[in-house]
Amino acid sequence: MPDGHKPADYALDVRNLRTAFPTDAGTIAVVDDVSLAIRPRETLAVVGESGSGKTMTFLSVLGLTPPPGKIVGGEVLFGGRDLTKLSAEELRDIRGPGIAMVFQDPLTALNPVFTIGAQIVEVIRAHRPVGVGEARAQAIELLERVHIPDPARLIDNYPHQLSGGMRQRTLIAMAIALRPKLLIADEPTTALDVTVQAQILELLAELRAEDDMGMVLITHDLGLVAKYADRMAVMYAGRVVEYCEIHEGFAAARHPYTHSLLRSIPRLDGPAGEDLAAIEGQPPNLEALPPGCAFRPRCFLGSDRADCAAERPALLPTGSDAHLSACLHWGELAAGGGR
Amino acid sequence: MVKYLAQRLLLMGITVTGMVTVVFFLLRLIPGDPAEYMLGDYATEESLAALRAELGLDLPIHEQYVRFMGRAFSGDLGTSVVTGQPALAEVLASLPWSAALALAGIVIAIVIGVPLGVISAVRQGSWTDLGVMLVALAGISFPVFWVGLVAILVFAHELPLFPALGATSSENPLTRLHHLALPALVLGISVAAYIARLTRSAMLEVLGQDYVRVARAMGVRENRVVYRLALRNALIPVLSVIGVTFAWSLGSAILVEAVFSRPGLGSMILKAIFARDYQLVQAGVMVLSLAVVLINTSLDIVYGIVDPRVRTA
Repeated sequence: MPDGHKPADYALDVRNLRTAFPTDAGTIAVVDDVSLAIRPRETLAVVGESGSGKTMTFLSVLGLTPPPGKIVGGEVLFGGRDLTKLSAEELRDIRGPGIAMVFQDPLTALNPVFTIGAQIVEVIRAHRPVGVGEARAQAIELLERVHIPDPARLIDNYPHQLSGGMRQRTLIAMAIALRPKLLIADEPTTALDVTVQAQILELLAELRAEDDMGMVLITHDLGLVAKYADRMAVMYAGRVVEYCEIHEGFAAARHPYTHSLLRSIPRLDGPAGEDLAAIEGQPPNLEALPPGCAFRPRCFLGSDRADCAAERPALLPTGSDAHLSACLHWGELAAGGGR
Repeated sequence: MVKYLAQRLLLMGITVTGMVTVVFFLLRLIPGDPAEYMLGDYATEESLAALRAELGLDLPIHEQYVRFMGRAFSGDLGTSVVTGQPALAEVLASLPWSAALALAGIVIAIVIGVPLGVISAVRQGSWTDLGVMLVALAGISFPVFWVGLVAILVFAHELPLFPALGATSSENPLTRLHHLALPALVLGISVAAYIARLTRSAMLEVLGQDYVRVARAMGVRENRVVYRLALRNALIPVLSVIGVTFAWSLGSAILVEAVFSRPGLGSMILKAIFARDYQLVQAGVMVLSLAVVLINTSLDIVYGIVDPRVRTA
């Protein structure tokens, strides 16, 4: 990350993180040299296609890389400690009160055979020495905070008795139960109706402000989260390819992939009947990345440039320290070649 | 709920009627004549004919069936041709022996099988896992009568910890338990092997679910995740199989009873088949299938308690 900042400046500081999976074709880095930093009280949007490594980055942060994958390099600095060096028990103490995560599909993220109250109580009692009665009272308060109507009654409901939106609110209640410093929301609205999506994002923004949390919004829909995020990190094939203030990203993206992503967002104010711009080519196959820039085969700037094929471009400042891009030719985009 | 129960009861009736019908006709396919068996080799044709008429064996088979079913519904399952006692009374007298054996076997199977399956799943791919699964495979593969014989050889003969006989006439409950222990263990171990494998695969599936990852992501202790949050989900498929296993263990009980010279429904039915004692076999099978169906029905209800989704469905 931009040097010159002390670790304490960040709620979370991920440096050169690599997470790899062994496969028949050799080891594949699904998270490849990723550096990200989230300031306290800031919301960072992490954007990318499925398989770009955005979820895996934050599962790695929490030490929840699904086996046989594992972290093979880098640091995850949180509260002055490197999480990659902690024992399982120390890491468990961080999950919940330090960093909490809301997952994508509220249908499968709640345990079907326990009431939602029992599940929140379980989380509270995993970290606080309180009795079941006290934990239950706290759970009702939490359900109130996420605007679940009649929480004293709904607390005894099973997940299948609640709507998708209610279930996601329950998961959010669980995530904020221990007042984490950082909340990671992994595609929190993907599985929900469009009308509910905005409500959930509003709720997250409200809770973030109330509890002074840092927040990461992982999404593939840049348009949806734009209003709620301060900065954005765009990921492609396991790497961060652009990292900047969100309004900068929208106004002057400096990576062709970001450009293409922005053009694929449907706009209400655009001409009616116009086709959406799809990104050409196939999403990258991590087992067979082309040499050089991974986005090269789909790049509208031209896929046959020799310098792009020579080596993978590093994420470097473009003009200002606050706007990083991994494109050698960002200058052409800045000059207006993109849209 | 009332509708659910009524449906279950109706289904039970149909199943038991079907079972008894099948057995009725199967029995009559076995060559051999009960009248000849009862009267011995030197019986005259007249006395045989008289006995057949008395037992209704001279009627066409469908009339025999109608007669039998009509009586069965009023609770009269006929008289054992061997002992002359009412067949139902004979069966009910040997039922407790089998029930005790099967129940003890299932309890042992669950107590051994479920924890082994869980440990195996949690340490998937480890030596512990491999060891447990190998032992379980052996437990399923070795026939139960062979395990019984080895058990007698080792634990009754070489190390005289248990009596070789599976039953006692003693009234002392401790003595009775002592006699029950080895047969129950033999029966339980073969079922335990099956339950362990099943628990392992159910547990592995549940441990890969999102909600387990969520619980871990919230810092819930691993022991709580496994033994409370995951296990209750994994037990749902295990529970449904225990019902099937129970029927199976009643079948294995016949072998175990034979090996340990223990009285019971199994050995009773076996003797009755050899004697062509139709009434006794029919009564025995009817009670057996009723027991299996009853157990499966009550498990269905327990199912609803463990899995809330079934309750509202």
